[in-house]
Amino acid sequence: MKEIVVISGKGGTGKTSITAALASLAQESCVVVDCDVDAADMHLLLQPDFAHKEDFYSGLLAHIDENTCRNCGRCAKVCRFDAIVLRNGRYVVDELSCEGCGYCEKVCRPHAISMNERLAGAWFASQTKYGSDMVHAKLGIGAENSGKLVAKVKKEGKAIALAKNKSLMIVDGSPGIGCPVVSSLSGAHFALLVTEPTLSGLHDLKRVYEVVKRFRIKAGCIINKSDLNPEVREQIEAFLREESILHVKNIPYNKAFTQAMVEAKTITEYTDAPLKKLLEESFETIKKTLGV
Amino acid sequence: MKIAFTTKEPSWDSMMEARFGRAEYVLIYDEQSGQITFYDNREIVNQEHGAGPKMVKAMADLGVDVIITGNGPGENARAVLAQMKTVIYVGAGELSVAEAYKAYQNNTLEKF
Repeated sequence: MKEIVVISGKGGTGKTSITAALASLAQESCVVVDCDVDAADMHLLLQPDFAHKEDFYSGLLAHIDENTCRNCGRCAKVCRFDAIVLRNGRYVVDELSCEGCGYCEKVCRPHAISMNERLAGAWFASQTKYGSDMVHAKLGIGAENSGKLVAKVKKEGKAIALAKNKSLMIVDGSPGIGCPVVSSLSGAHFALLVTEPTLSGLHDLKRVYEVVKRFRIKAGCIINKSDLNPEVREQIEAFLREESILHVKNIPYNKAFTQAMVEAKTITEYTDAPLKKLLEESFETIKKTLGV
Repeated sequence: MKIAFTTKEPSWDSMMEARFGRAEYVLIYDEQSGQITFYDNREIVNQEHGAGPKMVKAMADLGVDVIITGNGPGENARAVLAQMKTVIYVGAGELSVAEAYKAYQNNTLEKF
């Protein structure tokens, strides 16, 4: 089983659209994992059935036991996040403000405060409209993505891929270059970098490639909207040559990306035009590199 | 030499884990005494952020000289490791522990 992780550094380059297109080309031969859980949107294109749901706990949340609380307000005084507020004459925890540091628990004399695991959201194991398995997650309001959640969804995806003898796992990686991305890349066989010819596209490509390079993961790059700025495109191509990154494909700007999304379709479903061929060729190049 | 392996199971027969900070177990082999011990890393796996640096701290406390793993540590863990004398070998993510040790002995693993 080979694992492809799609990342971009910069947002808006078409990462999720391209990941979904690869997933639709792979059909049921792959397991899809969505690690971009801050703004998960791949489910809009792949329409998973949310068949299996499990709650996900992350971080801590203070809880005041009303019966033990003497309403002295010591907790409110020490809280650096102003997360303990007076409501109808009682001190209560403002859940959105609480950072889970536990200072209040330490100073509470009658031990009325306990720190509990916080329900951050849920993860799902689903079947997509293509019949492929998909593992994805949904975060609650105010919850943030973490290396922990990414590791969890990837682990579940990998277990399904191995149990069902799938040849591929396609991962929509997390944005940025921090903890969730490090967690997305761990164990990957191929990192597909999706960029665009803009200054920030190139800048963020270089930053995220630093992480990929350090992990010694084979990398390839798709330059999306490649006709947007020929000058920057050439700079990107030079960077790819310099770092021996496989230049998978240039995909010219195409309105079909947006139109397909509006119709909740993957690009390969939406159009038969040359664009579909470019994606098919990209997928073949990647598969060939991986030997699958 | 005290050698640490990131593993999936607490066993010498286990497969290696490509992950560094979020590997569930670390197997520690003391070449001098021949003793094998296990470090249960599941507490760290449960941390939202910064698993790598925490795992490095645990390895420092255990006096590990060499760490054998898959992809290697992320930037934060690497910065901590750079302050220590620990040597890290990578590329063993898809081997068994025994194979990884053999590769280490034969000097075929890549230094991080």
